[in-house]
Amino acid sequence: MKFLCVPCDSPMKLQTVGPPDRGSLSIVYSCPECGYEIAMLTNAYETQAVQSLGVRIGPETSREASADAGAGCPFASMIPATEDAQRGQVGEPAPVRWTAAAEARLAKVPAFVRPMAKAGIERYARDNGCSEVDEKILEAAREFFGM
Amino acid sequence: MKRYHDIVGDGGSGILEQVAEQRSRIADGLAGVRHLVAVGSGKGGVGKSTLTLHLAGALRARGLRIAILDADFNGPSQARMAGVQRALFVPGSHKVSLPRTKNGIAVFSMGSVIAESEALDFESTASGESHTWRATREFSLLGEILASFEWGALDLLMFDLPPGAERTVQYADFLGPRTSFLLVTIPSEVARGVVARSVAALSKGPNRLLGYVENMSGYYCRDCDAIKPLFVSADAQNTPADLKIPCLGTVPFDPELARHCDQGFPLAALANTPVGRALDHVAQQLLDTLEPEPSR
Repeated sequence: MKFLCVPCDSPMKLQTVGPPDRGSLSIVYSCPECGYEIAMLTNAYETQAVQSLGVRIGPETSREASADAGAGCPFASMIPATEDAQRGQVGEPAPVRWTAAAEARLAKVPAFVRPMAKAGIERYARDNGCSEVDEKILEAAREFFGM
Repeated sequence: MKRYHDIVGDGGSGILEQVAEQRSRIADGLAGVRHLVAVGSGKGGVGKSTLTLHLAGALRARGLRIAILDADFNGPSQARMAGVQRALFVPGSHKVSLPRTKNGIAVFSMGSVIAESEALDFESTASGESHTWRATREFSLLGEILASFEWGALDLLMFDLPPGAERTVQYADFLGPRTSFLLVTIPSEVARGVVARSVAALSKGPNRLLGYVENMSGYYCRDCDAIKPLFVSADAQNTPADLKIPCLGTVPFDPELARHCDQGFPLAALANTPVGRALDHVAQQLLDTLEPEPSR
């Protein structure tokens, strides 16, 4: 979808995307020539139709910033035994730190399996007496699980 | 006044760019795969998943590098049958490693992610209207799986498709012309009729139809050591639909095979039975169809 400022015959540029409100997004476009602004207000079906393509809506900078926080795991609630779920229960597992390099690798795991992958790797680290997940632990886990 | 195609870019939403980037990541992820084969039917319950796993096993026994993507996200069965229900997904340096069966077949199945007591569900801003967006969301998930996991260098990536003639065509469209199709039927006129519709629909597109397999072609009676009819033969008045594609083989039903699937045992244990020999024959036919001997 593109927007054209008719008086200027100039394509409008996306400026901001407001936070979702009951499934609706407020997307502001402005004309680079005259500065006139319009807002596209989506209904829930329109928002969902675009999100179902697996894309993020918004200017590039906000897309990058929301890469982790945005969509998240679409069915995290269905995945048992995540680290968060284990906290507070009897026999709470010892916390496991992640090095920056290992976390960067974890970020490559699709959101829908990330909580499960994180919990499993931390369990593997604990079982092997490690309190930190680094790249060596990840390689060892790959080897151990026959990958 | 400018028209849509007069304007370069999309004003900053980046939707088209993101979709193009997804397609590029998928193509990159599958660059090392020699053959993409989708095992479909149109009809449900004909044994697509069982045949996919055991044909993969027979091809793996020939030394081929094989992976299975269980594309039936709503009714995944490969995780249980392949014994990877409790798989761990570990990130490698570039992509995420895939769990493997004991005989070395890489498998992705939603059954490794979601317990059998749960149904696949997505967060939605339009709850109660899933018929308007659900298929799109599932194909987006398929794209994410193809782009994010480490398929690597493979001889064959097999897609275990969900039922539905229209879904079969949607997978053909999504996976593109590189993907060939192997269809599965059973000796029932109803099933053949549905598969015939899938053949008709797929024939309109560019994808290659390798042939079909007739599954449950009789059953193997261990007491008699004989194959007995499972379906009553067709009425002379009602000739079964002509599928118009080659038959790559017939596979009898064997309760032992069903038990092996439920428990995640490999086919090797059934190698010297009629069903094992039939699966091995189909695997060879499939391989010969994919890679015919160069003509002299």
